[in-house]
Amino acid sequence: MDPHRIRAVARRIAAQFRRDRRTLGLLIGAPILILSLVGALWGSTTSQRTRVLVVSPIAGVPPVLAERLVQGLRSSSGMDVSTGAADDGRQLLEGGSVDAVVSARLGPTNSVEVAIEIEGSDALRNGSTLQLIQQGVLRALGTTSGAPPVQVTYLHGGSDYSLLDYLAPLLIGLFAFFFTFLLSTVSFLRERTSGTLERLMATPLRRGELVLGYLAGFSLFALIQAAVIIAFTVLVLRVKYTGNVGAIFLIEAMLVIVSVALGLFISAFARTELQAVQFIPVVLLPQVFLSGLLVPIDQLPDVLRPIAVVLPLTYSNEALRAVMIRGFALTDPLILKDLAALAAFGAVTIAGAVASIRREVA
Amino acid sequence: MREPPALEARDVRKRFGPVEALRGLSLTVRAGEIYGLLGPNGSGKTTFIRCLAGLVRPDAGELHVLGSAPGAAVAAGRVGYMTQAAALYGELSVDENLRFFAALQGLTDAPRRIDEVLRTIDLTDRRRSVVGTLSGGMRQRVSLAAALLHHPKLLLLDEPTVGIDPALRRDFWEHFRALAAHGVTILVSSHVMDEAARCDRLGLIRDGRVLAEGTSAELVGRAGTPDLESAFLALAEH
Repeated sequence: MDPHRIRAVARRIAAQFRRDRRTLGLLIGAPILILSLVGALWGSTTSQRTRVLVVSPIAGVPPVLAERLVQGLRSSSGMDVSTGAADDGRQLLEGGSVDAVVSARLGPTNSVEVAIEIEGSDALRNGSTLQLIQQGVLRALGTTSGAPPVQVTYLHGGSDYSLLDYLAPLLIGLFAFFFTFLLSTVSFLRERTSGTLERLMATPLRRGELVLGYLAGFSLFALIQAAVIIAFTVLVLRVKYTGNVGAIFLIEAMLVIVSVALGLFISAFARTELQAVQFIPVVLLPQVFLSGLLVPIDQLPDVLRPIAVVLPLTYSNEALRAVMIRGFALTDPLILKDLAALAAFGAVTIAGAVASIRREVA
Repeated sequence: MREPPALEARDVRKRFGPVEALRGLSLTVRAGEIYGLLGPNGSGKTTFIRCLAGLVRPDAGELHVLGSAPGAAVAAGRVGYMTQAAALYGELSVDENLRFFAALQGLTDAPRRIDEVLRTIDLTDRRRSVVGTLSGGMRQRVSLAAALLHHPKLLLLDEPTVGIDPALRRDFWEHFRALAAHGVTILVSSHVMDEAARCDRLGLIRDGRVLAEGTSAELVGRAGTPDLESAFLALAEH
């Protein structure tokens, strides 16, 4: 062991790092970026409130009891409570404008029974909604002998849904996005660094043609991958889904096209494969944190919500969840809005990819 | 009647940040000749060839390639460009590489043309070989083939014979000569002096500028030196 030689190796590595500013920047900058996101995500309290509709008046229940229920729930700080008819409740629940509907009736022994119906498509939200309502019910109608009997039902999902059933729509989007992005970034970077891109640009091939060709070639395999992921999730993992498999596939397809184009674009900012690999957490982790996988979008802190708006996974997650858990059809306005957002991301990333291929002479 | 020049550069300038790669380069290449761009490493040869291939836009100066702008000549499929490194797809076979480039050039009779080109470069028996498994010299030959496929009127060859053995180098020059006999104009860069003698005319380039232009005999005569290498050194030091 010669300390001089060890030092020589260590110094050489330090010198290489100094030259490779981008790697150094990512090494230091990427964790700071991610930590700021996490800090903002979990370090602040959410301003989002749980929206509850109390069905009132309720036939058979003394108005005074119904009034006490409303007052009890209103005294809770995290809830917005409104009242309305039972029919309206179901409609508002389906449209997503309330999180739960609470109603009460008189039981056989003239005691009050409370029924809570929760929207249910987001496992992250279900728990907190239920907890808030139960606390309110206890405050309003609780007696020395405890809380009144509460019956909980779910519009979507429910107690027979496992965590996997809730997360599967988000995970199939994330996996498809991640692997496609990785692959297209590194392959296009290789085209740039091996000199073949230069050679291609000295042929009649246009930049747009090259990008569309890449999209077509990669998308073929990305779609096979998406099909395999969906089939495995549904057939092997037995994930529950209520929507149409074709709709799930279409949303995945839009997402992977965005992912390929984004990969081509990002490859312009890397000079080596090592640098390209370091870009992956920078692109991917914000989407893991902010696209609704860990925290529902509307419960994000105000500073982070605008970021979620510009992440493609936000839209694919919303659409996939709506199709798989809520059973929405492709023609539902919510799904159409998400697909339009994904198409817009596709157009922007394709334009970015074309612009990133340098050919100074038109 | 003289044909218009295949290539004309007038006072071409290009700067990359602090580096002035081309400082008023002017030269003329006549149709059907082999023109050698001779100069040390870093003299601007590659930058100039990239300008001609439509990959770099000069900051100033005039550039005519086959009578039009470089980008237009490339888009019309009239230019063949062979980069310094054999830029090919290592995972694909020789045939697959050539078919790809043929398709980009819009060749209608690709299979027949690929046969022909492979015979020219004597690689017919390696047609199915994966490029990554070939020797450096073979790869260089495939790279030349890819630049020839579409019958370009102008061939831009950036140091095509670097790193290949003398026998193959001789073969390459025989190909170049045969192409020129068929009316193809060739611009070839090199820093190897013994290749220079094989060119019809030469441009000695240094610091982004042409120092002297002429046949190798003219250059030697002008410098009053015994050979081209010392002529180059003498002209460069002037």
